[in-house]
Amino acid sequence: MMDMQQYIESGILEEYALGVLSADERAGVERVAQQEPAVARELVAITNALNSYAAAHAVAPSSAMRERVLQAWEDSIRETDTTSPTAPPAAPVMAAQAPTPRMAVAPAEPATATAVSADAEGGAVIRQMPAAASAGRTRWLVAASIALLLISGLGNYLLYNRLRQTESSLELAQAEQSRYAATQQAALNERDQQLAILRNQAFRSVELKGTPKAPEALARVYYNATTKAVYVDVRNLPELPEGKQYQLWALDNGQPVDAGMLDTATATGDSIQQMKNIASAQAFAMTVEDIGGKPAPTMSTLTVIGNI
Amino acid sequence: MLVQRLRDRDEGAMTIFYDKYAAALYGVILRIVKKEETAEDVLQEAMVKIWHSFASYDASKGRLFTWVMNVSRNLAIDKIRSKQYRVGSRTQPLEDSSAAMRLAADTTFRPEHIGLQEMTRQLNPDQRQIVDLLYFGGFTQSEVAEELNLPLGTVKTRARAAIKVLSKLVR
Repeated sequence: MMDMQQYIESGILEEYALGVLSADERAGVERVAQQEPAVARELVAITNALNSYAAAHAVAPSSAMRERVLQAWEDSIRETDTTSPTAPPAAPVMAAQAPTPRMAVAPAEPATATAVSADAEGGAVIRQMPAAASAGRTRWLVAASIALLLISGLGNYLLYNRLRQTESSLELAQAEQSRYAATQQAALNERDQQLAILRNQAFRSVELKGTPKAPEALARVYYNATTKAVYVDVRNLPELPEGKQYQLWALDNGQPVDAGMLDTATATGDSIQQMKNIASAQAFAMTVEDIGGKPAPTMSTLTVIGNI
Repeated sequence: MLVQRLRDRDEGAMTIFYDKYAAALYGVILRIVKKEETAEDVLQEAMVKIWHSFASYDASKGRLFTWVMNVSRNLAIDKIRSKQYRVGSRTQPLEDSSAAMRLAADTTFRPEHIGLQEMTRQLNPDQRQIVDLLYFGGFTQSEVAEELNLPLGTVKTRARAAIKVLSKLVR
């Protein structure tokens, strides 16, 4: 027991824990620790002390670094598994190396693939890792880049197609819209014009009432004595037989004067129509005539008539 | 059990492993290599090495934390001892790692974990310097003696004393 106390006091356990002993000395310490529980306990205490000292220096790596390191580790072991299936198991190699005090490790060792051939005594498999890891990473990055490029290209193609579809739809819509706008503008202009006529005080409104032959018939003529303009606005007229048309007459001093034929749209009341200019009139009337009209009215078909 | 899952080559276990140990490993690696980029590379190498050499972990010889910390520490020390690295960072003094210290100061790791400030308050500057040179600097005791111009016996005594102080804090 006294011997063991001396052994513990000698400081060799601290040296063991610090890793400054030679391989032989380490093996010796391990042998003693296996046989002597007191030495083993002391060794554990010393090791724990240094572990705590080491742990006290802990620096938490960033999460980005965590991803990088774990990825690189995975790439590295994948590379080893796939490219050197016949490589000797790494473990025994390391078993020989790990317990060796660090001074026995080759002192100058650049961490590149060039060190592989130089370091022949067993570290080759391990030393290869960094280079192998970067090769694997490069291959992976190239594959990922190509995949991304293809996806991006496909995406661009689809987007371009959709853009073209959208453009042609837009063109159609714009053409449709301008056509509609033109139609509406024309209709609006016409209505404006008609409204201007109706509101113009120079126009006189003449009610043409139905004759006993067509008591429900009703139309209106607007006459501007100054400009001689005549407009007709039908409220209700009997339906025409096939091949017939309404003709407007102005009566000037009892003489009928042709004032023009009513369009179908006018006869049905859909729109106001400008007729022929009339120099002078005291009354207006409509008769049913053959299409194109006649120079003189057929009195038997007189439908409406009204005095100014 | 994490150890059993790693032994069974369960890849999902590596994510759990990372979440449990990465902060501690990264902190120590950063303290050794002093550059964040290099520290990330070393941590990555350590993950791969731990995965491939897991069969060599002997649970009867110590905790998983001890083993993975040693694997990571050795990789980090190998890195700073490599020629390329030395050329780039020769002018940086070993103790000039205020960035790592600042980051480490407010980071917690485990429930039983004792803060860095608490620990360094308990160590006197001489003790701390020696522990740091040995643990984070990759120096042998002889190299520390030479570096600090001290007898080897003094270096050993201080290292032992420092670890005893730490042990008392943990116990």
